[in-house]
Amino acid sequence: MERKIIITDLRTQEARDALSHFRARGWEALVVPEDVRLWEEAALSAFAAAHRDGLKAVIHPAPPLSLCGFEDVTESMFERAADEGPLAAWCVMKVFGGIFRELNEGAVIFLNSIHAEKPVGRGFLFSAGCGAVQMLQREANQDYGPDGVRTYFVQRGVSADDPDGRSDVSAFYCGTDLRYPERHLPQRGSLNGLLEFLTTPAAAPLMGSDLRADGGMTMYYGHRRRVEGRDYVERKK
Amino acid sequence: MSERNESRVALITGGGKGVGAGVARVLTRAGIRCCLGCNTNAAMAEDTLRAIEAAGGEAFLYQADVSDPLQVNAMVNAVIERWGRLDILVNNAAMQPNRYIDEYDAESLRKLWNINLGGYWRMAKAAAPYLRQSPCGRIVNMCSVHGNRPTCFDAGYSMTKGAIRMLTRELALELTRDGITVNAITLGGCKIEFKTGRPKWAMQTPLDVINPALNGVSRLVDPVDVGETILFLVSEQAAAITGDCIRIDKGLVLV
Repeated sequence: MERKIIITDLRTQEARDALSHFRARGWEALVVPEDVRLWEEAALSAFAAAHRDGLKAVIHPAPPLSLCGFEDVTESMFERAADEGPLAAWCVMKVFGGIFRELNEGAVIFLNSIHAEKPVGRGFLFSAGCGAVQMLQREANQDYGPDGVRTYFVQRGVSADDPDGRSDVSAFYCGTDLRYPERHLPQRGSLNGLLEFLTTPAAAPLMGSDLRADGGMTMYYGHRRRVEGRDYVERKK
Repeated sequence: MSERNESRVALITGGGKGVGAGVARVLTRAGIRCCLGCNTNAAMAEDTLRAIEAAGGEAFLYQADVSDPLQVNAMVNAVIERWGRLDILVNNAAMQPNRYIDEYDAESLRKLWNINLGGYWRMAKAAAPYLRQSPCGRIVNMCSVHGNRPTCFDAGYSMTKGAIRMLTRELALELTRDGITVNAITLGGCKIEFKTGRPKWAMQTPLDVINPALNGVSRLVDPVDVGETILFLVSEQAAAITGDCIRIDKGLVLV
């Protein structure tokens, strides 16, 4: 039987890259149609039931990053972010976790963001959603894990071609290439190998974990040994 | 402190009972005037208010549902009308339904999100203009050890607490340049009047299990101890602490 994977949302570049990767590797890679709203259980359940044969894994990407100061967020923005973030993730987990529980095998991979730990700077709707999905995955690991369902939470960093965040209260997105020890942004599709590994039972020892796949970006604390750093130190003298 | 506590004003949501009442008792004992936001259990809130007043503290009750933006704004306005200022916001009002992932439906999860996270955000949004005018503006968000560690019995609750962890960090970033600090208390196992946050299978077992290996020390945190930590966090001495989650659990997560 052909290996089948479902990617729930293609709005981000890394999700589109993953789709291309799995198809190139011979998987039957499906996408949840846009008219199926991920937080509506009945619609998602119907789609999932139609594609359960041969299903090995589901990848659920975080929604696209959006910035808005907390005082500018409106009730309707809050409601929409709840639907697209935590509610969609919960519904995906409940629906596909239920299927994998019956099959006694399968993986749900939350392709999320380092903003589950690191604030964006004027982005609480996004990062609060990421923090919630991070906890959902940990709960799911305890709840569904004994039934053969493997769950993972991937914290991706910023990759080349990403639309950068723009914050006037955080320097996190300034000079992002300097934040990587390799001195350049990860290239598109650099997470594909990791995602494919997580679909295999060999990844079972990693289940329930947060996999920080950010190229060392969040470990950045200034390049004191680089030229810019020395200049800074000399100026301070 | 350069400013006396007696001139400062705090608003504590969920201040009528449980952890919020403990925090209110400590802050009012230190001279801070407190508005106790409450929604349910008005009788318990009245008891808390009487105890505060008997101890010489100054406080008043305000009934509001934090999932309703109009009621949130009205509550903040009531504080301003009464005392003319707001220096401290303690976000504490929350609910815990005790449901596994497959026991939630979209409506119940949305309601939980709207209260537990939405309430904190709405309160911060409504309070921020007044906190900026304070010489020592402070926000403290009541979080939980389950913002990091799964409950294994309530996915929705821990999702909202994980969200509050990130809300705290985002607000800290946004409000730093206004001199307002934002921190969270990561609370675990608190001794309160009744505790809803327990798995169904544990409802019949004693809440405060004394571990003999710990020399008979209760493993539950007293709400007053939480209040003492918050009293420090809202002081000028804690001005450099922001965006942090301070764990108060008597080492619960270490076991």
